Amino acid sequence: MMTDFTLIRRSLRARLLSSVLTAFLVALAVALLLSMLSLREASRRAFDRGSGNVQLILSADSSPMASVLNTVFYTGSPARSFKWDAYSESLKKLPLEFAIPVQQGDSYRGFPILSTTPEFFVQSRPDPEREWQLERGAFFKKEFEVVLGSAAAQASGLKPGDQIFLTHGQSDFNSREADPAADESKYPTLKQALAQIHKYAPFTVTGVLKPTGTSHDRAMFAELSSSWIIHAHEKRRLKNPALTATTAADLTNEDRLITGVLIRCKTPPGSSESPVLPRVYDELRRSYPALTVAFPAQEVERLFGIVTQVDSIFLALAVAVLVSGALSILIALYNSMDQRRRQIAILRVIGCSQPRIFGLIVTEAAVIGFIGALAGVILCVAANKLTAVLMFRQLGLVVEPTLLLQPALIVTLAAVFLSALAGLIPAVMAYRTSIVRNLQPVG
Amino acid sequence: MGTTLYLQQARCVPEGESVDRTVPLQVRDLAFRYVDKARASNWGVNVATLQLAQGEQVLLTGRSGSGKSTLLYLIAGLLDPTRGSIIVGGTDIHSLHGRARDAYRGRGIGMIFQTFNLLSGFTALENVLAALMFSSIPGSEHDTRARSLLEQLGIKRFDDDVSELSVGQQQRVAVARAVVCDPVLVLADEPTASLDPENASAAMKLIQDLCEKKGAALLCASHDHSMAQRFDRKIDLEDLAGQPSSTEPLRA
Repeated sequence: MMTDFTLIRRSLRARLLSSVLTAFLVALAVALLLSMLSLREASRRAFDRGSGNVQLILSADSSPMASVLNTVFYTGSPARSFKWDAYSESLKKLPLEFAIPVQQGDSYRGFPILSTTPEFFVQSRPDPEREWQLERGAFFKKEFEVVLGSAAAQASGLKPGDQIFLTHGQSDFNSREADPAADESKYPTLKQALAQIHKYAPFTVTGVLKPTGTSHDRAMFAELSSSWIIHAHEKRRLKNPALTATTAADLTNEDRLITGVLIRCKTPPGSSESPVLPRVYDELRRSYPALTVAFPAQEVERLFGIVTQVDSIFLALAVAVLVSGALSILIALYNSMDQRRRQIAILRVIGCSQPRIFGLIVTEAAVIGFIGALAGVILCVAANKLTAVLMFRQLGLVVEPTLLLQPALIVTLAAVFLSALAGLIPAVMAYRTSIVRNLQPVG
Repeated sequence: MGTTLYLQQARCVPEGESVDRTVPLQVRDLAFRYVDKARASNWGVNVATLQLAQGEQVLLTGRSGSGKSTLLYLIAGLLDPTRGSIIVGGTDIHSLHGRARDAYRGRGIGMIFQTFNLLSGFTALENVLAALMFSSIPGSEHDTRARSLLEQLGIKRFDDDVSELSVGQQQRVAVARAVVCDPVLVLADEPTASLDPENASAAMKLIQDLCEKKGAALLCASHDHSMAQRFDRKIDLEDLAGQPSSTEPLRA
């Protein structure tokens, strides 16, 4: 049995290239629109989670934005370090829930190392709603231990019990495979790279964290005093090459350097806002003029504002592409009308009514739109996965855009509606096709 | 008086009502005038009366350009007459409008063309199914009906695109499409003009046999007078104007 869809299918097949190209244009527009919408939502989620329950960040960065980007999103190394001892005591006088020192600057195979104290896992949270949780192993308890973020563990293949050497700065040099004891003179290309490795002592992996959906997933968390020890040891060996060991007891105020302090003010249970936050913020700015006090929530909001502005432009572009997709359907059908008049006349002769011919053309346009929209949704899912990988690799942002069902439905319906609208002019032409003139000359 | 009588007999049937097979065609006092502004010419078709009995096969002749095809299109309801009535299967086809007329044509009239006018890009089977698609025949019967008819006509490659079939096979598919809905009247417009004499004769026999089998009346426009002996009657279009239809019996 033949149906109207058999006629439409045949018509699409007869103009396969044109049908595929127009559907592809619609697919691109739909994919672009949906990807932008999912990315916007995912970015919002990622940014919202980003600072966890940290309310203030004290750092030596040039601006609050740089401070948040470096400390929360690991986009670069903090500019300068400062002495923890100069601030630890005075911070205790403020109404704080915690003030956790962190040190950044080292890395392992490109994964940033955040050196901190065990309190980090107890008091701070990766997400306001959730505590740090372990996938395997345990949090670090003593010196020269390291805990891995879920993505860092997966990408590096490390597991509890493995040992790693940290690298100074952000380098993707593989310090695990490089033997620090290798004869450097025989490997001139290795020499420079090996010189960047903190060879004093390896760190033992004690645990792997559960995914948090934040930038912390690609970080590794080392015990802070060990970090101080390896840096202090290397500094002292420059003066005394014969030095063989440095311990925590040898550390001085000069060695205990940090790059930031994560702060949370006293907050009533069940509340996300602290009444003392503005006062503490002012106090910190007044007391430490040399440092930058960043308000992560505010900076994240600003950052998201910038992203939103940019993606609004992309959204407008995507809508323009969708409209041009519909126009291309109109042009393709319009151009095909000359070839189809005979076919239409034949259908009329065998009993097909004018309204049905009209409906067939509009439906054909809508079908192109629908196929395009479906392909667009599939393309969007693929683009989302690619975006997640690229954002993570390039920016270290854990952004996991997922296809949003309601927008996907709305965009698909909009694509179908616009396409059907584009089919109206060709449909009117088809409706008005003269049967007699298109069958053969009247004689 | 006669015209009034014919109009009273004609019923404006709603879509789906059966066709009266005892009255395949009655044309009365028909005039069609066409003004071709581009060529500054003015011509037309005039038929005083023309009637076909159930199952009757009539050859319509006339010089080239005399309006044979136009008369067929008028009977099929594809053109509107300036005056007069055309009753097909008991219904004045021009009293029906739009969708109702299209549906009635699909159900009651089969058309065969010189150039076959098959749906290109469709298979032989689909070309026949297309005609059933717009009929009131239940969908469950479509496939069986189309296949059995094509088999009767010796078409085995149902699923081949019609463009891949020979000219003779295409002609048979066109005939199958015209009769598959059991029409009361088959209109053939120079159906054999594009065939050589041998194939033309075979094709005409096929059309006539099939119409006879289906009980459909046949009005075949052709300028080929050699076909005349095959038909019940031969009518010259020019003789139809302003005078009763000439009824020259040709075969026993």
